[in-house]
Order: sequence, then structure tokens, then C-alpha cells
Amino acid sequence: MSARIGIVGIGHIRFGNSSEYDLADIMAYAATDALIDAGILEQRREVDQVFVANMASGLFCHQSSVASSMVSKLDMEPVPAETVENGPASGASAVKLGYMAIASGMADVVLVVGGEIMRKVSGWEATDVVATMLHPEAEYAMGLTLPSFGGMFARLYMDKYGCTERDLALIAVKDHDNGALNKYAHVQAACTIEAIADSETAGVVNNYIAEPLRIYSTCPVTDGSCALLLVNMDSPKAKLFKKKPVRIAGIGSATDTHCVHNRKDPLRLDAVRIAGAKAYKMAGLNPGDISFAELHDAFTVLELAISEEIGLFERGKAYLAVRKGETTIKGRLPINPSGGLKAKGHPVGATGVSQVVELVRQLRGEAEEGRQVKDPKYGMSVNFGGFGNNVVAIICAKD
Amino acid sequence: MIDFSMYDVKVPEIKGYRCQTCGTVHYPAPMICSKCSTRRDPVTGRKWETFNLEGPVTLLTWTRVWNLPEGYNVKYLLFGIVEFGNGLRASGRLGVENPVIGMTLNTRVEESDERPGKPVNVFVFE
Repeated sequence: MSARIGIVGIGHIRFGNSSEYDLADIMAYAATDALIDAGILEQRREVDQVFVANMASGLFCHQSSVASSMVSKLDMEPVPAETVENGPASGASAVKLGYMAIASGMADVVLVVGGEIMRKVSGWEATDVVATMLHPEAEYAMGLTLPSFGGMFARLYMDKYGCTERDLALIAVKDHDNGALNKYAHVQAACTIEAIADSETAGVVNNYIAEPLRIYSTCPVTDGSCALLLVNMDSPKAKLFKKKPVRIAGIGSATDTHCVHNRKDPLRLDAVRIAGAKAYKMAGLNPGDISFAELHDAFTVLELAISEEIGLFERGKAYLAVRKGETTIKGRLPINPSGGLKAKGHPVGATGVSQVVELVRQLRGEAEEGRQVKDPKYGMSVNFGGFGNNVVAIICAKD
Repeated sequence: MIDFSMYDVKVPEIKGYRCQTCGTVHYPAPMICSKCSTRRDPVTGRKWETFNLEGPVTLLTWTRVWNLPEGYNVKYLLFGIVEFGNGLRASGRLGVENPVIGMTLNTRVEESDERPGKPVNVFVFE
């Protein structure tokens, strides 16, 4: 791939409860922040293409065609705009399509916006909406949900490798420490290992969701939006922007069986491994080059499994690194410095964009004091659709 | 005498699919055989046969879910992934309170109307 494509603008609202607002409004707000950050608010029609990542506005908000609605709110007509839907990996897929649009020569500047409002419906309904990504007859109809698969995966992982519930709690403590410092995080509160694992009342504070996963092993239901401005770094339009681009060095994506039970080894996340390998190959990098990672910890056990599939740790050993503190901000390889899905939140269609916003903030050195990774060169994100059946990995570089 | 046959009472069942070209079995229904690429026509079913998924299974993993989605009016449900004797695997509910990975369970199929839409058949492994 010969094109040099960089990110020159970022925008992000505070994740949390936006259920009183209109989805297109919160998306347009984050997009405006990205245009301001890039210094082209007045010249916004220089954008050649808009991609809007959203998973289920029709089900959560009874609203469709959100790309058209958002572009109109931004007064950007006649810029082309499409919605991208790839389940919880919609965000990273939109970034990938933005990259492809520029690499193809069809565009020089692409605005990528991710957004989801999940809290207009009850928690019960939200769980049901998210479960519609499962196989309709062989999974959804049985009553299965995403936490069900998280629980079954966690049981196998813990059984095979010796990881404990306390190890999963340590990930939550680390993520909440980071989220507490992130101005965009849904849950800006630290938690202690005593409160959620070690004390006699821990089981009350941290009750089961899908055994062996507990509340603190599971991401919250979150609303939010965020945006990125991508540019062909070699086009004349690149001169429009005031900030030095953070380069997109590699992107890889892959699919796996829709039904989890049809995987030869239910503990393997093949799509993660393949997507990661493609991203490394495109970037000309190895796992050892990565300075920090934003991984899709919808369930904390996935932070472990994904980090192993992309080669950051040996298979079955990531939890030992967590015990040693290697994945904290000051550790050897910080993971989820944003707080991850666990603390920052998981507005499903927006998450992949939010992960890349965090890569840019870290590589620019703009993260808040206390959660800035020291001198990062390469950041990697993994956005995990379905229960690992559609995955996108992205590597960004500070040149 | 009452003729019950007029009521069309059916025992709930869930089907597996066998490709008649190469014999490979599938669940759920594929559009193309994973081994020999024979196409399955969902209307005629030509070159394919169906069979009931039933009998003993081995439990591969399980969970007890406490945050059930809308429509379920029970405190929790147990779910598992199992393997049939023919190598096919399936996900479904468990009808045992204290499952153990590797245990043998029997397959039952029942009708469920908890989720939106028409009632559907679900596995209960017990």
C-alpha cells in the first residue's frame, strides 16, 4: 500500500448517558470537535467523504439514515455520506473504509464519525438488541446473549490456563484507574481489589452477570460519539491542516464462524489473530514494536485473549503479566490506557472510532496527566464484532 | 373417540443437515457444503437430507446468566455448548443445576415463546 494516510483531527464527547439527546446531534457535536481540532471548520466542505459508524440506531432510537441526518446538521451538503454497520466493530470498519476511499484515489479527506445511543431503551431491551447480532436460530432463539458467550469463554480460559476471578478483577482495577483520569470515560471512578474481589462483601458489590463473569468483568451500557479526520498526507489538501498527522500504519480485518459452537477450538479467536497479523504485515511491524494497545474488553477476559492472539503475550500467559502490573500505564506494555470498554464505556457503533481517537491522543502526547504512556511510537487497537466473528485491527504511528 | 391427529400436534424438534453428495453433516443449515461445495436449496432441499439432533451430548463449557434480556421472567438460565456423537456442536439451555465440563447430558427440544415473534424450538440439555 503506497498511500500515506494520517489522522489530523479528533473529536470525542464524554461517554455516558446521552439518552435525552438526538443521535445525529451527538455525532455532529463530536464531528465539529474533529473539524475544529483539524482547523478546517469553515472549510468543512473540503471533506470528500463522510462515513458514519453505527450498529443499531433503528432498534435503539427508532431512527435510520443517520449519516444523512448528521451531514445536514453540520451544514456540509453535498458531501457524500454513508452509514457503516458491522456490529460492535462498525467504528473500526468505518476507519478502514475511510482509509480505502483515500487509498483508492476517490477521496483526499474523509470524516469518520462513530455514535450510538443505547440508553433510550431499558437495560433488558439493550441486552436483547445487542443479542440480535447472534445467529437467529441457533443462538439468539435459544436465549443466548453476548454476556452468555463471554461467560462460557471465560470458563474455558480459566479452566485451561489457571486464570482466576481475582485476575479478571485486577484488569477492572487497572481499567478503572485509567478511566478515572480520562475526561471522556463513562465511569470516572477508581475501584479497589479489596472492594471487588478480596473482601467478604465483594460478592455483593461485584455480583455475577454470566458466571464466572461479574459486573466488574463486564462493560457498562453506554452512549457516546467520537470522530476522526483522515487525510492523504501527500495531497495538496494536507496543507489545510494545522496539526501534524498521526499516520495509519496498518489495518487488518477478518471474519470467523457466525456460530461460536462451530469453531474447532472455542478458545481460539482466529479473526483476531488474522486481523492482527495483516495489520502488522501492512505496517512492517512486529508485536514487539507496539508501545501500547486499546483492546476490546467488553468482557475483561477478552483483554487477555485478544492480547495473546495479536502476539503481545504468550498464549495463556497474559494474566500473569496483569498480576505483575505490566499492562498498567507505567508497566512494560500499557493496555487500555483510556480505561477500555470496561471504564470508558462501549457505545457499540462508536467504540472502534473511540479506540483510534485514544491512539491519536497518546501518540500526540495529549492524554491527561497520570495516564499518558511514556514516549509511545506505535499504538494498536482491536475492535471485536459479534463474539469475534468480525474483527478489525489498526496500528497508528508517530513519525 | 377423539381423533388427536386432526390437531396437528407436533413434537418439537431441531434439524441437522446432511449433504448427500459427500455425507458431511451441518448445524445450523449452511447454504454451501463446507467440504464439497454442494449448494443447498432451502426451498426444495434437493441433494440434502435432514435429521433430528438428539441423543447424548458432551458438555464443552457452560455459564449461568443472571442478566437475561427482555422477555425472560426467571431469575437465571444456564447455557452451554455441547458436542453430539456425530461431531456436530450446538449451543443451548442446560437443565442441570451444577454442570461439569465433560459430563454427558441428554437432548430435549422444547418450544419457547420468550423472545419477540413466533415461538421457536430450543435445546435443553439435561
